[in-house]
Amino acid sequence: MEILKSIYEVAGFIVLIALGVGALEGYFYYHFKYWDRPWFFPAALAAFPAAAVVAASAITGSYAFSLWVYFLLAETAIAAAFRYAVKGRHTVPYLLLAPAFVGLALLLVYPFVFEVYLSFHDLKLNTIMMWKNTGTIPFAGLSQYVKVFTTSPLSEVTFWELLGRTLVWTFSNVFFHVLGGFALALLLNNSIRFKGVYRTFLVIPWAMPQVVAVLAMRGEFHSQYGFVNIVITKLLAVFPFLASLGVAPVQWLSDYPLLTCTIINIWLGIPFMMVVILGGLQSISSSYYDAADIDGASYFQKLRFITVPLIKPVLMPAVTLGTVWTFNNINVIYLVTGQAGGTEQADILVSALYKAAFTYNRYSYSAAFAIVVFALLFFISVTYLHGFDAAKEER
Amino acid sequence: MLKKLTLWAGKTFDGLLKAAAEVIKDPIQRQKFFKYVLIHAVIIVTAAIFVYPLLRIFSVSLRPGDKLVSTDLSLIPDRATFAAYGSLLKDTMFLRWLWNSLIITLATSFIGVSLASTAAYAFSRFKFPGKKAGLILLLSSQMIPAGMLILPLFLMIMKLKLMNTYLGMIIAYSVSSLPFSIWILKGYYDTIPRSLEEAALVDGTSQVGAFWRIILPLSTPALSIAFLFNFTTAWNEYLVARVVLFSSQQYTWTLGLFELQGQYITQWGMFAAGSMLVTIPVLAVFLYSSKWLISGLTLGSVKG
Repeated sequence: MEILKSIYEVAGFIVLIALGVGALEGYFYYHFKYWDRPWFFPAALAAFPAAAVVAASAITGSYAFSLWVYFLLAETAIAAAFRYAVKGRHTVPYLLLAPAFVGLALLLVYPFVFEVYLSFHDLKLNTIMMWKNTGTIPFAGLSQYVKVFTTSPLSEVTFWELLGRTLVWTFSNVFFHVLGGFALALLLNNSIRFKGVYRTFLVIPWAMPQVVAVLAMRGEFHSQYGFVNIVITKLLAVFPFLASLGVAPVQWLSDYPLLTCTIINIWLGIPFMMVVILGGLQSISSSYYDAADIDGASYFQKLRFITVPLIKPVLMPAVTLGTVWTFNNINVIYLVTGQAGGTEQADILVSALYKAAFTYNRYSYSAAFAIVVFALLFFISVTYLHGFDAAKEER
Repeated sequence: MLKKLTLWAGKTFDGLLKAAAEVIKDPIQRQKFFKYVLIHAVIIVTAAIFVYPLLRIFSVSLRPGDKLVSTDLSLIPDRATFAAYGSLLKDTMFLRWLWNSLIITLATSFIGVSLASTAAYAFSRFKFPGKKAGLILLLSSQMIPAGMLILPLFLMIMKLKLMNTYLGMIIAYSVSSLPFSIWILKGYYDTIPRSLEEAALVDGTSQVGAFWRIILPLSTPALSIAFLFNFTTAWNEYLVARVVLFSSQQYTWTLGLFELQGQYITQWGMFAAGSMLVTIPVLAVFLYSSKWLISGLTLGSVKG
């Protein structure tokens, strides 16, 4: 029965989506078809907002008036756009795009705008019931942004510490990803046997579900039963002199959480870089190397003057993507340190943001924090891409 | 049979010995041989390190209940048993979690692919005002930190009274991989020659009819890749599920496993068993689709 009920629920939902898409298409189609009739404006302004109010009051029961005002404004803009700008042209592409872009507007653009709104108000555990019932939140002005820089998102660590940690985390991860990926790709690019098999094995950390991979690795860093400490203990038993060099089993998760997370994330990220770089290496024509061989170039000269320059167009986008991913990586850090009593010594900006919102229930604060992080990331990417473009033009 | 095998083994061994003797004589050959051995050795060691955690999960999942915590490093433990798998399926709601994940993921991927397929067609075949702006919007949406949208989505879902439901999860997931899917599909549609549709248009179909009857059937490979991408993204998702779902009846498997791995060391066996059951199909799907996924990932940026 349970199963039947859930199938029914999902089938109903898919039908709902299909109907919604159909209604949306019909709605836009109406604009395309009748944009030049004299009754177009009055009909559009009367019919659709009225329908929206009926639908909204059926679902929520309140705010009918404010919804009507919003929809009237939006509908006026849409109708005017069709009448004076679109003029019935480009019907097919706009109708094809409509469902996807309405979806993006509702679930990507609107949340973003809502986050900006939140960041200027004060939504926290005390005010959330009020917001749930009446829809109003006390206005807070810029005070949330001031708090971002003056108070800690968690219990101790400050914004600036988090920023520094994030930069170190991003840089060290991407550096080792590229280094490891490049080395492995160079090795695999030789004509050797079992290449496909090796490649498959080497991709496994990337292919495993990240939750499983990270939780398994977390187990391996357990102070007593984890693989790492077992190996250290066994090594010490065989080579006692290592102890005088300071080698000893370590409480990885409580003493060096950030290092642990970094090691785990390096392990996770190398395969992606390896595969991308390998693809790039295979597309380099062998005639360059033949020419270099005739000129008597050494291996490292070939690497420096042929491989690296030719791999750059493939490598740069991958590095950009990897940087953004690493900067935004909540998963690894949250899964390693996120449990009750978890440390905050490993948190970077985004994971602190997540914990501030959902462990400490400071919603507006975390919204302001998110806007600051987004601005930072945006600034970094724009300068970086700008520099990349400039370098491209010089060549 | 055995005789044949020994004969074959003997021949191979002889061949190897001869090759080795030749290699040792010739200095250039010798250098090549060492290089070959060295490359293989390095790769094998690295591959072992990369795969070892997976093998460890497997070995933990086979351990008998009283030996869950041990410093034993062997892959197949003493008195190996599948008991952990049995108790996982019997004593926890693992099947229920898998089922929840499956429903949410299937609905999400269905919505994502159907929305992306039409939008990508518009981007691939038509010229219209706002095309470039739309593409830039898609690209820049990838730059928004994922963690940033979780909070407003969570509040929206709460306001719509959809907490702890499939519908809430599906809404939260449905557009997350839309930009990427549109990007992959657009790239694929671009490779289909226009003359096919033009012929259909001459024969009297509408533009939409040409899309439905010609382009969609031809792009099944790309559609399935987009579907797989949507599927794996939603299947492996953890952070949104953490905040939207709160009763263990409604958990997806990621939440369930996280809980099993939690404080109680006695549940490690079940955690490991669950991980194995989830990982194997995902690995298979990934290895099958990785080639296309990677070209999709790098295609857009290389061109631009």
